[in-house]
Amino acid sequence: MEKRLIKKEMLYDVIKRISEEILVYAPVREGKDVLFRVLEEGMELLVDYPNSKNAPKNIFFPHTEAMMRYARTDRGMEISGSGEEAKEAVLFGVRPCDALSFVLLDMVFDQKEYRDTYYIDKRGKTTIISLACVHPPYTTCFCTSVGGHPMSSEGSDILLTDLGDTYFIEFLTPKGEKLLEKFGNLSEIDDTVDSIKKKLSDNSEKKIKSHIPAKESKAWLDDNFEHPFWDTIHQRCLACGTCTYLCPTCHCFDISDENKGNRGRRIRSWDSCMYWLFTHEASGHNPRPSQKERWRQRVMHKFKYYVDNFNAISCVGCGRCVRDCPVNIDIRKIVEDISKLKALKL
Amino acid sequence: MLNPYMPIPVDVEKIITEVDTKDIKTFRVVFVHEDEKERFKYLPGQFAELSIFGKGESPIGIASSPTQPDYLEFTIQKAGVVTSALHNLDEGSRIGLRGPLGNSWPIDYLEGKNIVVVGGGFAFTTLRSLTNYMIHDNNRSRFGDITVVYGARSPGLLMYKDELSAWEKREDINMYVTVDKGDETWKGREGFVPTVCKEVGPSSENAVTLICGPPIMIRFTLPVFFELGFSRENIITSLEMRMKCGIGKCGRCNVGSKYVCKDGPVFLLAELDELTKEY
Repeated sequence: MEKRLIKKEMLYDVIKRISEEILVYAPVREGKDVLFRVLEEGMELLVDYPNSKNAPKNIFFPHTEAMMRYARTDRGMEISGSGEEAKEAVLFGVRPCDALSFVLLDMVFDQKEYRDTYYIDKRGKTTIISLACVHPPYTTCFCTSVGGHPMSSEGSDILLTDLGDTYFIEFLTPKGEKLLEKFGNLSEIDDTVDSIKKKLSDNSEKKIKSHIPAKESKAWLDDNFEHPFWDTIHQRCLACGTCTYLCPTCHCFDISDENKGNRGRRIRSWDSCMYWLFTHEASGHNPRPSQKERWRQRVMHKFKYYVDNFNAISCVGCGRCVRDCPVNIDIRKIVEDISKLKALKL
Repeated sequence: MLNPYMPIPVDVEKIITEVDTKDIKTFRVVFVHEDEKERFKYLPGQFAELSIFGKGESPIGIASSPTQPDYLEFTIQKAGVVTSALHNLDEGSRIGLRGPLGNSWPIDYLEGKNIVVVGGGFAFTTLRSLTNYMIHDNNRSRFGDITVVYGARSPGLLMYKDELSAWEKREDINMYVTVDKGDETWKGREGFVPTVCKEVGPSSENAVTLICGPPIMIRFTLPVFFELGFSRENIITSLEMRMKCGIGKCGRCNVGSKYVCKDGPVFLLAELDELTKEY
């Protein structure tokens, strides 16, 4: 693993230079929000920003994506590929919580038996450059409760840590090291850098003020699929789906056909377990008939089913679902309440 | 890298209207490309996603048996957008197919045992596949006694009528076809599936039963088999859910930690006991 230092003002030039050769997705300001966009001439690159409004999962798993194209013929149909092969890219400025989300999404999309070619193609061709959270940005951040850390490098190919005038830059994977030469002349590190980083890391961890007993909730979830607790948590829910759309780890989708005359494309688009149609069957039966069952599914999927299947919680503690829920449903409170129920049971 | 979402072309060779109400048809399809036919290795109980471009995809159980290697059959009830479009097709149409998907009836587990097949109504399709598989000359000796109880609401709603008569003539399979209520032409058995199962009373000794049907039929049939001494490991069923991708990614057909499309659709009753009752 290569470690270097880069002067802050140089970083802008490097990223701009890379963006002249390959696609660079970077956080940019759009109105009040920060969003990941393809970096183009004249756009201002952000490095000091708390976190993006949306999770960057859409880079590998777009809201809507063509899976294939078809033409209807006299016989029936002809199919062709999506015509949208991924290009080499850099995803710059990802926060560690969002970088971790890609590791969690890989568990679903990159399985041995069925490999999701659309996701894998884009993911494989993209180098992720992350920005460590020296100052965790929100009171709603709770990454340390769900297997993350504000300065974690998990899921990143390159990690930048702000040291003041310079960034400590770690090239973590072969993919990251391939970009090393594009950074030009970088200063070598001295012995003190690692200890400075360690100190920053300890400090940033202390700044995470929100802690929830996420790992402990599984034991209760294992035994309490039918519990009066589920009758209460959903009652304010508007079923708007915001929590799932902003979530870096939610991966549910729908598949549909879009026609234009005799041609068309099969697309997939994000879907949400918060919607009643999600599980509604043609027979009229719906195994999740009310918002109660849908909320239970959301909590179970993140804190039990994912753990059963992949030994990981499907939440990175970014807090987006907490910040942007229009009726202030707070997943942290749900997990805390579960821990109290557990305590009562004991 | 093989794209698991990409359908392959198949041609609809034959369409058979199965029931008087005409809303259940069997579609016999043949592969357009020989290599794809060779690659499509399946077992009874598995399903495939059928595509009509412009309408979408639907997961449909395979009703034919691997012992009928020249074609695949799908028995489809007209219910939603895709199945209605399928029902409007003419013979000779080309559609898309991907699969085989899901697990299968557990053939290895069934081997050497006496088999009781219990089907109700439209849900008999993949049990028909299994029955044809088991009674094929190459396979018949692998299984003990085979008993089939198949019921429909009325004589006109029985599917695969020619095949049922052919099976009834065989000596190596015990057939019990029943209807809830007969009509003036019906000379066969009348009675609900659970009642007939009770009358038949198959021994649970070294036996497995496979049940598929409407939930109400299953609800009343299970106690009969418990009474006969069948354990929860020896009662097997196939779940239906609203599946989409068919490969455990799109996230809608899970029951607890299992995905019906990937870990199912076939489950032992003992396995279902371990799962949440969300289906």
